[in-house]
Amino acid sequence: MARLQLVDLHLARGGQTVLERLSGSFQDGAITALIGANGAGKSTLIAAIMGMLTPFAGQIKCSVPKERRAWLPQQLALDLSFPMSVEELIMTGTWPSHGAFKGYCAAHYRRGREIMTRLGISHLAHRQLGELSGGQRQRALIGRTLMQEAELLLLDEPFANVDAETVDILMDTFRDMARQGATLVVVLHDMEQLAQLADDVLLLAGGQGRWVNPAALIEQHGGIAPRAPRLPFTLGELSHAGTD
Amino acid sequence: MLALIDAWLLAPFDYGFMRRAAVAGLALSLAAPPLGVFLMLRGMSLIGDAMAHAILPGVALGFVFAGFSLPMMSLGGILSGLLVALLAGSVSRLTGHREDSAMASFFLISLAAGVMLVSLAGSSVDLTHVLFGSILAVDSTALVLIAGIASLIVLVLAGIFRALVVDCLDPLFLRGQGVRGGLVHGAFLGLVVLNLTAGFQTLGTLMAVGLMMLPATAARFWSQRLEGLIAIAIVIALLASTSGLLLSYHLGLPSGPAIILLAGVAYVFSALFGRQHSLIARYRRRTAPLEPTPTSSS
Repeated sequence: MARLQLVDLHLARGGQTVLERLSGSFQDGAITALIGANGAGKSTLIAAIMGMLTPFAGQIKCSVPKERRAWLPQQLALDLSFPMSVEELIMTGTWPSHGAFKGYCAAHYRRGREIMTRLGISHLAHRQLGELSGGQRQRALIGRTLMQEAELLLLDEPFANVDAETVDILMDTFRDMARQGATLVVVLHDMEQLAQLADDVLLLAGGQGRWVNPAALIEQHGGIAPRAPRLPFTLGELSHAGTD
Repeated sequence: MLALIDAWLLAPFDYGFMRRAAVAGLALSLAAPPLGVFLMLRGMSLIGDAMAHAILPGVALGFVFAGFSLPMMSLGGILSGLLVALLAGSVSRLTGHREDSAMASFFLISLAAGVMLVSLAGSSVDLTHVLFGSILAVDSTALVLIAGIASLIVLVLAGIFRALVVDCLDPLFLRGQGVRGGLVHGAFLGLVVLNLTAGFQTLGTLMAVGLMMLPATAARFWSQRLEGLIAIAIVIALLASTSGLLLSYHLGLPSGPAIILLAGVAYVFSALFGRQHSLIARYRRRTAPLEPTPTSSS
């Protein structure tokens, strides 16, 4: 049985129905892309999975304990003026095992170092978060989820405002995490990234959800893909525009 | 030379009231600045002021019922401070208004209520004492109370330190871990109230905030690390309270304002000459030539 299942889910926000009759399960050890136009309910669904929003009806069945769920919201609530270094941020990912009181031991610091090396930010270990670029900050935050040994990752547009090198590193990291059994849900707008990353696709449109095979989606995507601002033109549309 | 040092720095402490005042100042200097650092970093620098007004009606009530009894006045102060913090927190949560507007409303009500109570029950001299304190009148009961509260603050702050740091940086992460951020925030505000109640006897309700905020805001010009900020703020507070006490002894100045003014001098000096973001640091940065390769010291 999959770790994360939706059963006839009905989500509402401020008295307005956002999503209804949404069922299905997210594959374990796979990356599911969550796509849909702005306002289709992607962030609402993620908030509900994180337990920040109570479903109006239906159920979210999630067998992952709360502290192994990681959420990277689109609009970071991070206070960047707070004095904290990259290493310190990554070490806070030990919260599930260490909580508020237990001291960090050398093995955990070593693990932090490994994570930073893997993400290519070990030279930034003592840099303050406020001094980082968008891409470096995103890598540091992913480092925290690695430290957390997250089994369920909810990533809301992780590649927005991020440089190409970081996108590559993050994609590799996400693949690795999925291979090790984690369940990843990624909000994407970019078809190319979807093609590279997604094992499965949940398409949200008009208050409904549809599970789509990524290969099929890419093939026929001009038709059903939602028109998000950052969606590239399809070849078909391009040739169409040329004949006008 | 030695005689001069003795006369200026050591002789004053031959008096019992000076020794008690010094110990009270040291205890407050250890407990208050870390709280101030967190208030500053959370963008709540003015909340300290609001809380200081909020403890006033409780102190006044204690005064009305028990006369000049420090334990009763402190207890009243703690209760009314916590009550205002709780009310402000719940009003903002229930109505969706920002916490600072609720806090502002409640502290103004508290201030008026407190001044009214003191005026009805006592004289303007008593009011001055509550508002501005008198560090030289600290007796041993007061000293035990102040030192006890200061120790409690340091211990509890150490306990909630990691949670507080994570809550300041990324409250969503903490919530995701199943910790209620409101709990951490509430405990922290409780410590602020405790600290202000400990401080009002020596510095007065209004000026107790000074020993909390000024060292913290001054430290911001010297360090960019949390540990550094806290350590520097404590050092500034220790220096200010000891030298302020000595100044007030030698020059016959009121002790509270002398201490806070010295902390203020530290702030102005730091703003001008500090290592980070001060006027001088900005000026230097503008005139320094571009370095070919940034030297990494890490």
